Amino acid sequence: MSSSAVQSSRTASLLRAEGLHVEYAAADGARVCALRDVSFSLEPSQSLGILGESGSGKSTLALALMRLLPSNATFTGKIEISGRDLPWLSSSQLRRVRGAELALISQEPALALNPVLSIGRQISDVLRAHSDVSKKEGARRVCEILEQVGFEHPERVMRAYPHQLSGGQKQRAALAQALVCRPSLLIADEPLSSLDTVTQAEVLDLLRRLKHELNLGMVFISHDASALSTICDRVLVMKAGQTAASGTWEQIRTSSDDYVRGLQFTSGASCSDASSRISPPVLNAAPVLEVRNLSKTYVQRQMLSREKFEIRALEDVSVRLMPNATVAVIGRSGSGKSTLVRCIAGFEIPDKGEVLLEGDPVQKRSSVQMIFQDSSTALNPRFTAVQLVAEPLEIARAGSKKERIERALDLMAEVGLEKSWHSRNAAEFSGGQRQRLALARALAASPKVLILDESLSGLDLSLQEQILKLLLDLHARHNLSYLFISHDLRFLPMFAQQVLVMEAGRIVDQIAPNKLWTSSCPATRLLTRVNQQLHARHAEVHS
Amino acid sequence: MIRYLSRRLAHGVLLLAGVSMLLFVFQKAAPGDFFLGMRLNPELSGQTLQGLRAEYGLDQPLPQRYARWLGSALRGDLGPSFAYNLPVTTLLWPRIKNTLLLSVPALLISWLIAIPLGLLAAWRRTGWIDRIFSGSTSTLLALPDVLLALLAVLLALRTHIFPVGGMTAGTDAGESTAGLLQHMVLPVFVLVVGSVGPLLRQVRASAIEVMDSSYFRAAQGNGLGRTTLLFRHALPAAANPLISLFGLSAGFLLSASILVEVIMSWPGMGPLMLEAIFGRDLFVVIGAVMISTLLLVLGNLLADVLLYFCDPRIRVQS
Repeated sequence: MSSSAVQSSRTASLLRAEGLHVEYAAADGARVCALRDVSFSLEPSQSLGILGESGSGKSTLALALMRLLPSNATFTGKIEISGRDLPWLSSSQLRRVRGAELALISQEPALALNPVLSIGRQISDVLRAHSDVSKKEGARRVCEILEQVGFEHPERVMRAYPHQLSGGQKQRAALAQALVCRPSLLIADEPLSSLDTVTQAEVLDLLRRLKHELNLGMVFISHDASALSTICDRVLVMKAGQTAASGTWEQIRTSSDDYVRGLQFTSGASCSDASSRISPPVLNAAPVLEVRNLSKTYVQRQMLSREKFEIRALEDVSVRLMPNATVAVIGRSGSGKSTLVRCIAGFEIPDKGEVLLEGDPVQKRSSVQMIFQDSSTALNPRFTAVQLVAEPLEIARAGSKKERIERALDLMAEVGLEKSWHSRNAAEFSGGQRQRLALARALAASPKVLILDESLSGLDLSLQEQILKLLLDLHARHNLSYLFISHDLRFLPMFAQQVLVMEAGRIVDQIAPNKLWTSSCPATRLLTRVNQQLHARHAEVHS
Repeated sequence: MIRYLSRRLAHGVLLLAGVSMLLFVFQKAAPGDFFLGMRLNPELSGQTLQGLRAEYGLDQPLPQRYARWLGSALRGDLGPSFAYNLPVTTLLWPRIKNTLLLSVPALLISWLIAIPLGLLAAWRRTGWIDRIFSGSTSTLLALPDVLLALLAVLLALRTHIFPVGGMTAGTDAGESTAGLLQHMVLPVFVLVVGSVGPLLRQVRASAIEVMDSSYFRAAQGNGLGRTTLLFRHALPAAANPLISLFGLSAGFLLSASILVEVIMSWPGMGPLMLEAIFGRDLFVVIGAVMISTLLLVLGNLLADVLLYFCDPRIRVQS
């Protein structure tokens, strides 16, 4: 942004941040700088996108703007909200600003709501903290805002508890809570990243509509350039706590900086190169994994009543995975993808049907390995890297201790991790590195089938591409078969031979990935349309 | 809900049965009985003693004695006291009332102190309040009840503000409520001081866990006032371990105050239990332990019901 723009906005800026600087004191006394001299301003009802890879200081920025930084952080800089100096407000003044003029929605809607309080009460508490409304009037306004964020039965939602809502519904409820006092500025910290694509598109639509209806100014933080581009007027690109670039979308898109480009575009070149090297699936052999007529029903009881709800998570699902093949399973959350995977991996016992590995019921669990979406929770934080990778070998009692460590180190090298990092804890690795570590650990069990459960969706675009390339390389080298679970369709064409579309526990479409966009099945069309909406302007991958 | 409760109740009944069996086995393992001490009395012949033993069924084999006791216990009769020659229930009942008169207020006051102070300490985790807090709770934890009780007696002797011991002024059997309350102050105070330390720590730990959560930060970000934040948002979310602890503490209602009662001459369970254990007054000991166990079972049942109503997630699971 040019300095003249800052000058002209000095009088009526909704939000003005100057020289924000945040340092965290680490446990060993070291100081880690998370934010370094970041400045920007925002006019009323405008929206600013903050784009950056994980660890670039985006969330610290959001917390700093709310003055919610943890106590081990030191903040310097100037934040003005509608002309008031935020860092200097007394705690009671601050309380009146938070929620009333300035609101936050955060990454994980499930964690933003108090698990033991009803939605209605959580929203009305915010309302009553800021205005003197009667109980009845309060309930009416809660109802109104719930309706506005797209709930059809607001009275029912008011009585519900967070665990009774789906991820998208929770994010809507959190949004209602943030907006019930009609703030003029909303800070949205990765509000989409934990949702499936269909819900992402819905929430994004909703945010766009609310921004217009309520004249909201918005700071929208994301690692996904394509989502940002649909809602933000201007962008600030962050790298390692500093401003890497800022300006309009036009300026950002034509930037020559590699980092800025890497966040927006992926050529897919390196991946298509790797994908050309994978040996074609063996089609006439026996399938390596076969799932026959799997069914699973969950029974849920309602509070204080005898009524039972049956959730048919899987109904008569059959999958055949050939040696060296990759089958992708797509569908929105709640369509039964996870239950299918859990049944295959043996975490769940299906009501009906069977899972066969090379023609036999699964005997050796280690032949099917899983890579999860969030490797930070999938890896034991107290283990060192080499312990993590060697553990499957230990369980299998393979070789002597020295051999096991040797093999673990080799595996680490194979997935692109330095052998010298062997004594680090999982927490000391970045998101992409952790996913590599999880891969090395899975490979240690010499699996035949690798289940990738949304293994890419937590990562930035550039990292996704790197991991994908690694997956393709490993595929060729280890003769693996992949079952790839995803709601993101971008990488499918270069990766999978077959796509299964799930809806309400059934497989509703089986299709080749390049024919996805021309499918006649309504569920498939919904997914492709939403993906196109989200990724239309950016990050299209061509194979 | 009904199923949930009945399952818990069945657990309780099993526990009671198990405890009663163990009590009989243990008392058998201990050498001697109440009448052993009487042997030294020259006025009583060996035959008389044998007769007394037979009268109370002490000469029968253990399973038969247990069955006999169980049969009468189910009818509400916990057997006789050898020393007082009274039914155990008649003997215990007023004592239990007196003990509960101390322990129930002490329990409630402890919780009423622990909850707000624990929340406050968690809220001001890095400040001087918390430092004072952790220092004083450690001190409280380290102080034995006996010492506290002795100090209280000393205080009463020196200042004459409070009675030194007992439950009533003695002479006027009319025992006015005010007089009773005055006698209660010191023992209840000692009990509260003795029990509030661990409770405070538990409340603080649970509250800190909630305050580190992202929903608490979100609630802060919504500009909720401190009272709403602490009592409406943090407390219900932190309540589960506290409710379980509350249920457990019911099991100690009869036993927590034993030493304090003995030192401050409070006519509760404490002095009686001490006497009964030393005198091998078998059925009194068994009866008292059984009633303690019953209170524990009831306390846990109460905790389960409270959990059911406080945590919507448990309601769905059950």
